[in-house]
Order: sequence, then structure tokens, then C-alpha cells
Amino acid sequence: MFITKKHIPRRTFLRGAGITLALPLFDAMVPAQTPLGKTAASPKSRFCGIYVPHGAIMSEFTPATEGTNFEFKPILSPLEPFRDRLLIVSGLEATTAGPAPGESGGDHSRSAAAFLSGARAKHTSGVDVHLDTTIDQMIAQKIGQDTLLPSIELGIEDIGYTGICGYGYSCAYVDTISWETPTKPLPMEVNPQVVFERLFGDGTNAEQRVARRQEDRSILDSITHDVAHFRKVIGPSDRQRLDDYLEDIREIERRLQIAVKVSADAPAVDVPAGVPQSFDQHCKLMFDLQALAYKADITRVSTFMYARDNSNHTYPDSGVTVSFHGASHHGNKPSAIETFAKINKYHMQLFAYFLDKLRSTPDGDGNLLDHSMILLGSSMSNANEHDHAPLPVLVAGGASGQLKGGRHLKTPDNTRLSNLLVGVLDKFGVQRETVGDSNGRVEI
Amino acid sequence: MPRVSTQLGEKAPVRKTLLLGWIVLVLAASGYGQAPRPQSPAANQRAFLDQYCVGCHNQRAKTAGLMLDKMDVAQVPQNAEVWERVVRKLRAGMMPPSGARRPDRPTIEAFATRLESELDRSAAAKANPGAPALHRLNRNEYANAIRDLLSLEIDPTSLLPADDSSSGFDNNADALGVSPALMERYLSAASRISRQAVGDPATPVSEKVYALPNDLTQDTHVEGLPFGTRGGVLLRHNFPVDGEYLIATTLSRGGKDGGVGSGAADTKGEELEVSVDGERVKLFNLASAPDLEVRIPVKAGLRSIGVTFAAKNYAPVEDTLQPYLRSMFPGGVWTVVPHVGSVTIRGPYQTTGIGDTASRRRIFTCHPANEQQELPCAKKILSAIAGRAFRRSITDQDLETLTSFYQVGRSKGSFDGGIEMALRRILASPEFMFRFERGPAKPGEVYRINDLELASRLSFFLWSSLPDDELVKLATQGKLKDSAVLEQQVRRMLADPRSKELVSNFAGQWLYLRNLQSLVPAMEEFPDFDDNLRQAMRRETELFFDSIVREDRNVLDLLTADYTFVNERLAKHYGMPDIYGSQFRRVTLNADNPRRGLLGQGSILTVTSLATRTSPVLRGKWILENILGVPPPEPPPNVPALKENVRPTDKGTDTVEVLSVRSRLEEHRAKEPCASCHKMMDPIGFALENFDAVGQWRTLDGRLPIDASGQLVDGTKVDGPVNLRKALLVYSDQFLRTVTEKLLTYAIGRSVEYYDMPAVRAIVGDASRNDNRFSSIIVGIVKSPPFQMKVNVEESAVRK
Repeated sequence: MFITKKHIPRRTFLRGAGITLALPLFDAMVPAQTPLGKTAASPKSRFCGIYVPHGAIMSEFTPATEGTNFEFKPILSPLEPFRDRLLIVSGLEATTAGPAPGESGGDHSRSAAAFLSGARAKHTSGVDVHLDTTIDQMIAQKIGQDTLLPSIELGIEDIGYTGICGYGYSCAYVDTISWETPTKPLPMEVNPQVVFERLFGDGTNAEQRVARRQEDRSILDSITHDVAHFRKVIGPSDRQRLDDYLEDIREIERRLQIAVKVSADAPAVDVPAGVPQSFDQHCKLMFDLQALAYKADITRVSTFMYARDNSNHTYPDSGVTVSFHGASHHGNKPSAIETFAKINKYHMQLFAYFLDKLRSTPDGDGNLLDHSMILLGSSMSNANEHDHAPLPVLVAGGASGQLKGGRHLKTPDNTRLSNLLVGVLDKFGVQRETVGDSNGRVEI
Repeated sequence: MPRVSTQLGEKAPVRKTLLLGWIVLVLAASGYGQAPRPQSPAANQRAFLDQYCVGCHNQRAKTAGLMLDKMDVAQVPQNAEVWERVVRKLRAGMMPPSGARRPDRPTIEAFATRLESELDRSAAAKANPGAPALHRLNRNEYANAIRDLLSLEIDPTSLLPADDSSSGFDNNADALGVSPALMERYLSAASRISRQAVGDPATPVSEKVYALPNDLTQDTHVEGLPFGTRGGVLLRHNFPVDGEYLIATTLSRGGKDGGVGSGAADTKGEELEVSVDGERVKLFNLASAPDLEVRIPVKAGLRSIGVTFAAKNYAPVEDTLQPYLRSMFPGGVWTVVPHVGSVTIRGPYQTTGIGDTASRRRIFTCHPANEQQELPCAKKILSAIAGRAFRRSITDQDLETLTSFYQVGRSKGSFDGGIEMALRRILASPEFMFRFERGPAKPGEVYRINDLELASRLSFFLWSSLPDDELVKLATQGKLKDSAVLEQQVRRMLADPRSKELVSNFAGQWLYLRNLQSLVPAMEEFPDFDDNLRQAMRRETELFFDSIVREDRNVLDLLTADYTFVNERLAKHYGMPDIYGSQFRRVTLNADNPRRGLLGQGSILTVTSLATRTSPVLRGKWILENILGVPPPEPPPNVPALKENVRPTDKGTDTVEVLSVRSRLEEHRAKEPCASCHKMMDPIGFALENFDAVGQWRTLDGRLPIDASGQLVDGTKVDGPVNLRKALLVYSDQFLRTVTEKLLTYAIGRSVEYYDMPAVRAIVGDASRNDNRFSSIIVGIVKSPPFQMKVNVEESAVRK
């Protein structure tokens, strides 16, 4: 956590609005003036940002032809069943993942940060980290305010150590792809059990979960009451942080009001028992949880990281025994390229699992895939050279009728990734002229 | 050395007289003033500056942003921040730079001493003790607090997210902020922990996977497991209730499904033993067992689970091709025996009872026999727990709140349920999660923190946990202020096993030991490097630092001690003969042994290297920062990366250029803006070049002989670790200050600023009369103004 000074307009808005919180389960109760009603986007669209570090073998990724009748290359072939919900965007460049003029190295340290922000990480290893708010959080601030959780952030690899993550960059830039404010990175949760409990509450059945959440509310009530009296006696320096804390407590109380109802309606699924050993199972569980959260409308925004940059994870299920980062430095040897492409393809097989999950989950007049928009990609291209163009990027889902699939969109060479981020925001009614270093807009 | 006593409340006039006396003595002894006789001390100081410093540090050149030409040396306190920088550079021997004209050491020291005495005198008159931000317990402190409060071991990583760090330590209050997501986690942790501590008969099934590192070699015995066993793992697992649990093992080698080189391992006759608290519960025959799962009843509480192989064959490999010490590589193996890949513990099934756990015994100090006794008993239990948790005496108001929660829980079920509910309220309380310190309303006031707050600062410093009953009792009685009592408590706390937290948290972060865990030296270059070696390196340095603490040694022993700790694996790495077995033991090192002190230890040498090669720059930087306390600035922009060394390929071409790291770094020292810093860093690192990137002794780098020679900034010529150690010892006082500064940073949970330096000097001065004993530095810190006092934050910000 880096939160020393907080500025969270979202909360101010909530209090200003008199906390007329509508439960997503009772859409009819949403006040007519809710900002959601004014957006171009369907209020039920979901956004998911998925980051895959270390790029891909581009010759095996990008279809040879543009437009609608493209042929799938091997890496993307697992996604063929979802062709009609798929838009491949090629030719992009993650300009801000590369070194600033006069700087060298640190490509892995900036890549995750650049992906959804389009901005360059401030070169620091101290607490003064600075990026831009990422687009998932801009979307969450727009459409996430009346769900239980504005957004959820999921990952696979726990942060083993803290401090500096190479070339004088803070680990904050590497550990997450989601930034709520320019100074506030959101930690990625790796434990499926913890995620499940954040979504549905802690307990073995609905009754227990409801009861525990109600007990939490009474504990918070009592704490708020308590704090008021000793706020007076503590030192002025402590008071500021205590006030931040109180504000957080109010936010949790707000969430708990909704949460109690959500817990009552929790699906009858098995609670994950912990962090699975196999990457395959772990990854699938994380996808399941996102689908569950969308379905129950607990959140409409999620982010997911397959791995951290420089990860030395191995993927036995892919048939490759070399580590992820190790394999990405293939040295342009054909056999090593083939090996890395296998890992790339394996990651897409898991993504196909997610798409399938979403498509087979009914939602309103269609399914979850119809009503979602998933931006998946990397901030690197050929990781052997730490290139940041052309990137492997695709957009999946129907975005509630706003996104036409079955296409390969080839952008002019070195179009900035941030231009695509502007285009993505459009679909959620977030009107931004620029995101990060964008100098235009990729219309999707 | 002039000194300002750290003892608070001493009479100032006496001290001033003493101080002046000291200065006169030092000046006379150092030969200061033998130069052409100056009119005044200030003029003398000015002459020094003009002669040696302002050539670069003037308003025109602005070298390092330092302009000494126009600064008033008669008014040192007015520019305390700048002068502290000057003092630091001089004390570490970094200035004047190499090549520049340099006065002899006594002259430099005398100049610095004069500055210091001015700074110290001004600080004594008007101290600024600073003000740390509100401190939230970090994840580790939280787990320790739960252990000490409830006798319950929890896995904090499954309950709370990792904390960030600042100024090198993760207990820095600036980095310990709050957010709704984080507060939710604390709230849910409170609920989970209370249930676990009281015991929940309806505990749902959960599982925990213990995955062993894939570079863990399991060819030999593991410390802690029975003799006659080989490989495997010894785990400590907390079983929530009495019931049945499944213990399932997978093999990373020799398994039926998957795993590196599966099928190739010889499983014939191989046996896998599963034990609980040393008692065998299952022996699998690998050749015939259908799976490696065993479901057994286990009593609630913390248990040791051993999963290991029966040792069958230790015959050495008789071959010209000797195997690497690391047994398994991605895609290949160097071992014939099976290896454990992971152990999963799942349960409870068939809960038979909540069990008689340590935490229940700790919580339930009374057992009501009937309903009338329940409320009084609940009050007794809850005031005891709340008192410890909040580190203060409990008020009627507190008890009323807790009783109401008790009653809610009681009404829904049992007496235990009531206690659990109230416990949950205690753990969720901000008074447990944060370390609040009361303060006067008046802004700018410098004040002493109260005894209870002092007790908390003490225990979180030395134990990373709550104060115990004795400390709280002394604080409540107002006795902790008493200097003798305080000192006696510090010694008691250092002797307590809980002070091992200083090793894992303080030393672990100061020396970068924690980074070792995530370091993966390149397999192609260091094929012997495995997790066994990684853990052994960490353990050596931990045991070494621990010996300084436990034996209350001279802190300089960190650089010079005539002993270290090794086991067989590490001894092999160091080339020490005749050390057998997995257990660590103390070994004596003779005077010219390069392994003496921290700089000869594999851990330090490895964390300051790159994956493929040594980095004299990183090693030099590490020493400047952590030994001499003069961290170099970040490199300027526009620096191209070093060209990687080109190695001859298998095909063998004669045209490739093989350059030593040394010659590749030559460029750094030849050109500005690199040279000014690299002339300081690189020669230090070169002196350690005989240690490769994993700390193994070598005389060749590739095909080139090692050249460990170099000239330090102060002109000293060094040619290896032994000489380097001697050269650094010239600055032992600066090393002691650096250690003290790091310890103080850790102790008060904020960065140490220029206005803290008088306190640092005083602590080191006092300790020097006590053989620099570790405890004397700790006592000095605990008695110093930054530790005992606080200033209103607004005022402190202005002074900054």
C-alpha cells in the first residue's frame, strides 16, 4: 500500500448523492437520474483487462490478412470458436513501456504499468510512485459505483519481496496493472478463497455469510462510535490517518449494506479451498470467479495478470519445461521460438476457457460474453529484444452490441496502445480525449 | 570524540563544560592548529574549505548542488542539513575525491569534529525529535501480535496483503497506509482468527499446498528430519480442530503423473515416510503405492509434519563426469532418486472436537460452571485480552462495549460464541491495528511520549510485536521512564527469543537478505546453485547476526569476526574441508581468511550480483550504502548499458572479443558524469572480484585471470577482500554510525533526517565506551530523543 494522501472523488460523489444506492438485483429501483442512464453504454457491460507479460511470437500470432476473413495463426487458434466475438488489433506500440529519451533498460519494470494507463511509470523506487489512473478504474468510477465492489484485481503470483524491482523502479509498477489514482496502485489478489469471500462473504452457507456480514456491520458501527471519542486525544499527525481510516470504514459499511443481500443470493458453488498448486487450475479458478462476480453483478470491472514481468513460472501443462521469462529470451533460435510460441498458445487456451465460461452463462437477453468487453494483451512484442511494437493485443466480447467481432483491425505501424485505450473507454461512455500519451483514437 | 550525552533530563551546563573540554583535547591531540596560526576557529574552518572544497563546490560549478564558498562557517546550525552532508562525506573518506589534493586524515577529522560539535550543541539546545506517521501494524507484526495475544500461529500471507516498504524497511509508517480493501481484509482476519482461536466445530474444509522450490536438491538429509532420511520437507501446520486430515504428497521426480524426468527415477525399494510431530503415521512403498495420500486423525494445534524418504543409498558417483550439486534442472535431472514436489494438507473431515489448543488455554482463564458465573468470567477473560491487545488498562467503557458484543454472541449460541464475538470486536479495533500516540493539542510542542507508548515502541522495535505483561505493568506504574529500569528491560528483551525478529526483519532488510529468496543465478553459469545453497547462505548470515545480538558482541565484529556458521552444503561451496551434515556449526576463520565478516558471506555477495556475472558496481554501491552510509545517487540519464561480454560459441570462432567485467567498466571511470561516483564504487567492488556471482572463490573469470586491485577514494591501495576489510576498518566509526542510523530508522519507523544525526553521534559515542556492544547501541537508541520524544508534525514539517 502506498496510500499516504488520498483523493477519492468517487466517495465524495457517493456522499453528495445522498447514498441512494440501488441494488443491481433490482434494476427497476435505480433512480432515473443515475449517471448510468445517461451513458451511451449499456449499464450492464462488463470490462475486463488481462495482462500477459513477455509479449509473443508475433509471426505466430497476427493473422496474415486484415478484415473479416482472416485465418487464425497457431497461437490464437484456441480462440477460433469465438471468432464472432473477437477483434484482433495489430500494429500497436506500447510507447510508454519503453525507455524515456536518454534512459535505457527497465523495460520489464515499466511494461505492466503501461498496459492500462498508457503512461510512463515515474522512475522511483520510493513511496512517491506515480502513474496515471488506469482505464479499468476510470470505467469502475463510471459504472462500478452501485455494485458491491467497484472492481476486483486478480493475479497469480504473490509478491514475494518488496522494494526495488529492477533499474530503480518500485515493485508497485510490476505487481499490478490497476491504479485507482496516479499514486494508488491496487494490489492483485492471488488467493481464490479470499476472492470468493470478498465477493460472497465468509461462511459455508448463505445464512452464515449473511449473519457474518451483519455482525461486521455492527462491529463497524461500534468502532465508528469509539473512534469519535479518542480522536480528540491523539496527536495531530495521527489524526489525519485516522480520518482516512474512518472514511474507509464508511466505504466498507456502504459495501456491507449491499453485501448482506448479495450473500443471501450467493450461488451454490464450492468455496475454493486455497491457492491451487497447478497454474492451470489456479488460472481457471480466477476466470470462474470473474464470471461469477459478473453474473451476480457484484462487480462489473476486473483485471487479471497471468504473471508478473520476469516471471520464472513454468507451465508443465503446456508441455514446455523452460521458465516463462527464460523462454521469452529465445535468442531467435527456431527451436526456442517454437517453445515460446507453445507457452503463448497455452495461455490462449486458458483464455478460451474464460470466453467459453462467459458465453455459457446466460445474462439478460443473451450471455455474459455478449455483454462484456475484454482487453487482452502485452506491452511487449518480441520479448527477446524487449521490443514494444507490434504488440499482441485483442478485444473480445460483444460489449452489449457495441463491438463487432470476427475482425482483424490493422492499425498503421506504431499506433500508440494508448489510442486503443481511448477507444475502449468510448464504449463505456467514459469520454476522454486522451489517455496516457495518446495522440489519437483507435475506433473499434 | 566530543559527545552530547543521550541521557535526557541531564543538567545542560555541566554537559557544555565537558563538551568544550573535549573539543580542546581533541583539537590539541589531532594536531589541529599547528598550521599557520588562524585568528579564530571559524577562520580556520573557512581556510580548510577554501583550500580543499570550494574548488568544485562553489556557486559557479555547483558540484553536487553544494556551494560552500558563501556559506557561513561561523553559523553552522543555520545550515545544519548541508553541514551534515559535508560531515558524512568526510567521515566516510569520500571527500576530497581521488586525484584532488587531500589533507591528511587527522586534519579532515578535526574539521569534521568541529562541525559536529557545533551541530550537536545546537541540537542539545533545541532538539527536533521528529514525528513518525501513525503506524499500522504490518503483516508480520500483526501475526506476531496474534501469536503473543492468543498463542495462535497464523499464516499472515493468507489473511493480509503484503506491505510496501520505505527507507529500506517495511515497518516504515509512511508506507503503512490504509484503503477500504485493506480494512476489509483486517475485518475478515479478525473474524477468522477469533473463530480459529476459540475453536469452531463447523470449520469448513480448506487446503494448503506447500510447494517445494523446483531447485531444491533432495539427495541428502534435511536438518530437523530424522537421521537416516533423505530429502523431503519439515512443515509447521496449524490444524484448526481435532479431526481427520488428508496429507497428500506429489513427487517432482519419480512420480507417476508428470514431474521432471518422471519414470526415469528408480523407485524400486524407495520409501516415503509421513510423520506428525516426529511420529510416523505412514510409510509408502513408492513402487507399489497407488497414491501418496494418507487420511489420519490429528489433534488441533500447531504440528510438525515431516514428509521424507528413507535414505537408501549414499554411494558416491564413481565417474569421470561428476554430477552437479543441483539435482534437477528444467528439462533434465542429475539425480537417480525421487524428490518431493509438494505436500497438500486438507481438512478437517469428521471433526471430533475443538480440541485443547494453546490458544484456548490462553483465552479461557476461567470456565463458568453455571449461568451466574458466565458474565463475570467473560469480563475477566475480555479485560485481560483487550488490555494486552490495546497495550493499556481497560476502562469501564471498553468493558461495556465488549460485554455487549459478548452478549450478542452468547444469545446466538454458547459462552464460547460470546467470547468469540467480543474477541472479533477487539481484533477489529483500530487500537489493536494501529499504534496511536496521544499528543498535546498545541502545535509545535516537543513532548515526551507516555510510558505505555514507550512500551509499545520498545516491543515493536525489539520484538516486532506487542509489549508483554511485564512491560505494560512497569509502564502503568510509571517506572519505564527510569533510566535503569529501561535499560534492564532492554537487556531482558534482547535476551528473549522474540528478539530474533531483529534478525529476520532488521538484518533481513538492512543487508538485503530477503532478496535472496527471489534470486535465480543463471543455470548455465552456476549449475551447482540450488535452493539448498540459497537457504544455507541466508542462514549463515542470520546465525552470524544473531550471534552478535545474543553474545552482545562488538558491532565491528560484523566486519571482522573470526568465525562464521556453515553446514556441509555451504562449506563445500566455500571450499572448507571436513564439514559434514545438514546442521550448522560455528567454524573459526584465521586472520587472512577472506570469508571473515559480512563481506565474505555468500548471501551478501550473491544479492549484489547479476544473474550471469558479478557486478563490482552493485557491490561497491552496497558497501557505500550499508557499511559507510554514503549511498551514491542514481545514475544520470543517457547512460548506455554495458556491452555484454561476448562468449565464444560451441563452434568456436577466434574473432569474438572476451572482455573482463573490469575492462568493460573502465569506461565508467574514465568519463564524467559517471566517473565521480564510479571511482568511489568500482574499486571497492573490484577488491571482491575473487568472489564470483554466487560468492564462490575464483582466480579466473572465464579465461581471464582475476585482477582484484584498485585504489580507493582515499588513496588506499587494495587487492582483495582482506585488504578491503582493513581499509574499511579505518572508517569503523562511520560504520558504527551507519549501523546506528539503520537501526534508528527501523526503531522509529521513519526515515532518519539530518536533525537526527546529533542523536546518532551521541549513541555511537556512548557505545564506544562500552566496546561498541550491540546492546549499548540499542540502549542508546531507546534513550535517544527521536525514540522517546515527538514534535507536532506541522512544526516539524516547517523545520524540514
